[in-house]
Amino acid sequence: MSPLDLIRLALARLRSSRLRAALTMLGVIIGVGSVVALVAVGQGATKGITAQLEGLGTNLLTVNPGSSTSFGTRGAAGSATTLTIDDATALAAIPGVAAVAPELTTQKLVIAGKENTTTSIVGTSAQYGTVHNQTIWQGSFLTQPVTDLGLRVAVLGATTASDLGLGADAVGTDISIGGIPFRVIGILQSKGGSGPLNQDDQIIVPLEAVKSNFVSGDSVRSIGVSVATADQMDLVKAEITTGLKSRHGLGAADAADFTVFDQAQLLTTVNSITGLLTVLLAGIASISLIVGGIGIMNIMLVSVRERTREIGIRKAIGAKSRDILFQFLIEALVLSVLGGFIGILVGLGATAAIGAIAGWGFVFSPATLVVALLFSLAVGVIFGVWPARQAARLDPIAALRYE
Amino acid sequence: MTAPLITLDRISRVYQTGRFEVRALDGLDLTVERGEFLAIVGPSGSGKSTLMNIVGCLDRPTAGRYVLDGTAVEELDDDGLADVRSRSIGFVFQSYNLLPRTSALDNVAMALAYQGVGHKERIARATASLERLGLGDRVDHEPTELSGGQQQRVAIARALVTEPALILADEPTGNLDTASGDDVMGILRELHATGRTIVLITHDADVAARADRQVHVRDGRLVA
Repeated sequence: MSPLDLIRLALARLRSSRLRAALTMLGVIIGVGSVVALVAVGQGATKGITAQLEGLGTNLLTVNPGSSTSFGTRGAAGSATTLTIDDATALAAIPGVAAVAPELTTQKLVIAGKENTTTSIVGTSAQYGTVHNQTIWQGSFLTQPVTDLGLRVAVLGATTASDLGLGADAVGTDISIGGIPFRVIGILQSKGGSGPLNQDDQIIVPLEAVKSNFVSGDSVRSIGVSVATADQMDLVKAEITTGLKSRHGLGAADAADFTVFDQAQLLTTVNSITGLLTVLLAGIASISLIVGGIGIMNIMLVSVRERTREIGIRKAIGAKSRDILFQFLIEALVLSVLGGFIGILVGLGATAAIGAIAGWGFVFSPATLVVALLFSLAVGVIFGVWPARQAARLDPIAALRYE
Repeated sequence: MTAPLITLDRISRVYQTGRFEVRALDGLDLTVERGEFLAIVGPSGSGKSTLMNIVGCLDRPTAGRYVLDGTAVEELDDDGLADVRSRSIGFVFQSYNLLPRTSALDNVAMALAYQGVGHKERIARATASLERLGLGDRVDHEPTELSGGQQQRVAIARALVTEPALILADEPTGNLDTASGDDVMGILRELHATGRTIVLITHDADVAARADRQVHVRDGRLVA
């Protein structure tokens, strides 16, 4: 019999016992469906986190001061006041550095009309927007002349603006930050994100304005450095380290009094963690695929037993063992592949639903579907071959006499 | 004169059941010419069924030579036997042995499928074969929708559709009432009249009497 004949035969067989076929396929449907859905969830989560991290700035290096030691007690990292505005200026001269944004952050009560909120006030340079991938929604961002003069102007994050009840027409109006009037010159585009990654809840002002009004001294909280291209990251990181060490009077062998934090490193770490989680989820899901395969094997064994006489008739009439083997194997394959197809559809449905709820949209890779289909094919072969061999090995005389 | 269709030469078949040896066939000789209508008669336990299995290439003899249509059957492996069954033998069984939940047409066409005949030709030849047996209006019926006599006609249509050298009928009337049984024997006689070789296996002397020649099996041998 040709493969087409056998597939036709298998389909006719499944049609004649629809409920049994459907229940048998259910195991594979659930298995494949959950593999597809969970892999997509993993990929969606990865994409979501990656997008948030990239939102912090592409090719971003962050220089933080080290910890301070007073009376023998080591303070928290970042507590030292070793980074200065001059350090930031010096970093800008390193080749490969695209933009530098020193940051001096403080928390202040902000009042606009009747509304108020307490949020981060980030004193920085005009390049902050470039370094942190910020785009302006209304008005304009800080400019070089404005930051040089240290004017009391403010660019509001999207969340802060809405907390203060400010819309597009707020540009040009005055708000009070820590009791001091600032002129709103722009509102940022929302970037999404939440928690510590939320960049929408902040007010960006010139560094000089923070220094002259809120925080005295010459030090900064951190310096954001944007590197021109990704492959220069390591080089620039090394240059920053040696450059700052020598500026701080430290030898090459001394421990640095600052840390250089690599955005890409975090991205790699996060990606490997989410990748691991994806594999873990897929692994758990594939257990149900195996269970589904055992279901197919079980039903095929029952089927061989029930159809012993049919096998005898077929053999008497001229079927070779191979014909019987393929007949039952293809029946198992049709079950598993059909189940795989339906499982993929179910999985994609679940993916779309989860994506919509979680907010990362519909993420799936065609590779997953191919793999899922190959898996269900493999399940059919692995769990179908034994019952099929049982059928093929039946002795025609005994099978014909079987009641 | 052409070579005989069937030559059985000192055929033995010994079954090993536990510590006992059962000698179902014991050096049996039989020759069937082409175009013959032969009845093999014997009571149960005579070795008749074993003989039918060997003639039908469902089983191999323990010793002896069996040549069917020029092929030395005892040398063939399982696939070889399946090939001979498919090409040279048309079976008609006592219990019809049609596939359940399968139309008469598909039951008949199935025999051609194992010869590698294409789908279209299978349908055409199976339809023709059923029509020849007066079942042209029953092609879509499943076995449960047919009477015993009709089911046996479908089985005969299936046996004929491959144009085999030998029709091997094992108690073809055993499950049928007298009228249907007569009907089936009539069909076999007609087939014989068109030149088919038919070997009939039965315990029923009346049925055997419809054949041209009878041989009797007792204790694994032919008796006169």
